[in-house]
Amino acid sequence: MAYNHNHEASQGSQNHAHKADIFCRDETRVDWHSKALWMLREKRDRAAGSIPEWEQLRQLGSEIKLHTLTHLAQYLETFEQNCIANSIQVHWAKDGAEHNRIVHEILARHKVKKLVKSKSMLTEECHLNPYLEQRGIEVIDTDLGERIIQLAKMPPSHIVVPAIHMKKEEVGELFHELLGTKAGESDPLYLTRAARAHLREKFLTADAAMTGVNMAIADKGAVVVCTNEGNADMGANLPKLQLHSMGIDKVVPDVDSAAVLLRTLARNATGQPVTTYSAFYRGPQPEGEMHIIIVDNGRTEMLKDKILAESLKCIRCGGCLNTCPVYRRSGGYSYNYTIPGPIGIAVGAKIDDTNSIAWACTLCGSCTYICPTKVPLDKIIFHHRRLKAEAGKLPYGKNSYMPLVGKFMASETMLNCSMSVARTALRILPGSLLKPFSGAWGKYRELPVAPNSSFEAWFKKHRSL
Amino acid sequence: MSSKLEILNALKLSALTNHPMPSIDVAPRGDNLIGQFETNLNTVAGTLHKEGGLIALQAKVDELIAQGLQVISLVDGVTANREVPPTAHELKDIDYAVIPGDIGVAENGAIWVNNKNLGHRVTPFICENLILALPANKIVPNMHQAAKEITLDVGEFGVFIAGPSKTADIEQALVVGAHGACSLNVYLL
Repeated sequence: MAYNHNHEASQGSQNHAHKADIFCRDETRVDWHSKALWMLREKRDRAAGSIPEWEQLRQLGSEIKLHTLTHLAQYLETFEQNCIANSIQVHWAKDGAEHNRIVHEILARHKVKKLVKSKSMLTEECHLNPYLEQRGIEVIDTDLGERIIQLAKMPPSHIVVPAIHMKKEEVGELFHELLGTKAGESDPLYLTRAARAHLREKFLTADAAMTGVNMAIADKGAVVVCTNEGNADMGANLPKLQLHSMGIDKVVPDVDSAAVLLRTLARNATGQPVTTYSAFYRGPQPEGEMHIIIVDNGRTEMLKDKILAESLKCIRCGGCLNTCPVYRRSGGYSYNYTIPGPIGIAVGAKIDDTNSIAWACTLCGSCTYICPTKVPLDKIIFHHRRLKAEAGKLPYGKNSYMPLVGKFMASETMLNCSMSVARTALRILPGSLLKPFSGAWGKYRELPVAPNSSFEAWFKKHRSL
Repeated sequence: MSSKLEILNALKLSALTNHPMPSIDVAPRGDNLIGQFETNLNTVAGTLHKEGGLIALQAKVDELIAQGLQVISLVDGVTANREVPPTAHELKDIDYAVIPGDIGVAENGAIWVNNKNLGHRVTPFICENLILALPANKIVPNMHQAAKEITLDVGEFGVFIAGPSKTADIEQALVVGAHGACSLNVYLL
């Protein structure tokens, strides 16, 4: 299929530049991808601009999350107590493995054969689907984008629009093959209706439903789940067994806090004033059973570092992906982590064994500028580079040559001599001979025209006038 | 040690210094609430019916039934042709569900619905089309006010609904009617 090169990029762990190269083989697709995401950024700007108090909401969002993170133990315990009072069963998992085990135990106890799931980046992070499938449970992702990539056997390439890398013709081809839609048909309305019919049957026959959590309200013991498609609520309200997985960072003090975040979440994600459905579950349905699994999986570790800790303020709107010049042109599969883009680097760089994603960033700061909870993403990414250097894990041989570059730049004589040689070389040698020395930088750029003298010489001359 | 205890203990090692809870004090836009609500409801692909109230709503329901459609009403004073069935799954062939909305939100067109008025929780999602009946004096400026007015008692379920279900997962093309209702009409009472 045409998206095979995307497929290739989604597999295995290789450095960011290598995977971005795979994505960039098809230049028109890169342009299209970049434009589609920029469209989301523009919609976001219009939505944010229509609210005079936008900056106040960002500040409030940041402070509410910071307050909760600095009183997390207290809020988590309050949340658990209130859940229990609402007949909700609460479980704690310190990592992904424990989370998956707990989920499977609950499902196995109820002899669940078919599970409908709505979007949850946490369960992606824990690799829950393959774990359950290996144990004989059919897992159906019900968000349209997620269903598309599940059928295509690919991971999400974006946290809000997971199939953003696929063209409608490819979806049409996939649906024709697997859902029996008409060959050559690629109209989004037709394909969406086909998926609706296909998934309706799944909703009606599912034994259990699982969702992620957008906010967990401590003083009520309730979870808030936001979708546009209604898939989370179709799922959770049909079978009698519902499960919700949440990171420890999802808790907020009260409904007032949730209201602040609900005002910015969808506006920053897609430019909508609010998601179509913002559902508050404060207990199971009659004769039903409701479970919440609270997961750490590295979050308490992140809290031990003052700078990294702030990445836990994130509400997963995906706005930073849409605005990122690197993400838009390198695709979601180039990050060697489940979550791509700036927030993916912030929470994934530490376990990135290619030690390269912290450099998939120009430090332009656009992500930080638009973040609805003011996560200082560029600062966090820069910090990751320092941590990698301190751990002796600089990529691309930076470890060996960077100290030399440092010494070189520090010596005035060496620097002046070599710059003079470079200027002469640029003037007299042919570009074809010099270009290879510029490496990846020169791939899409021409070498500069050499000035006649160094800036230092120019400055000395003009200051003396 | 239980995982809960391990997590709570690990939290004691947090490097963050205590941050106070900010006071949430956002000035509401109180002018022309119904106008604002209608504009935003249109943005999220819903339609507002301002005139006629319950009578117009009953006339609409009668018209739908005359077309041979399956309609369920949970609004007092509006009668339809289907009752709340014993199980949620039996709602799968409902063409129109008529449900009371508690609070409307002017800034985004969302309407709060509480499970007391749903029969089954899945009613507003499983129906092919949704009609919400909202008292005109229950529209508040923004989500901060809505947060103060919604009811969500112990064990309950409630949801803000803003328009019909929708998706843009295929090439960013907006398609109305994903998994939930394919249309939303709101009648002001």
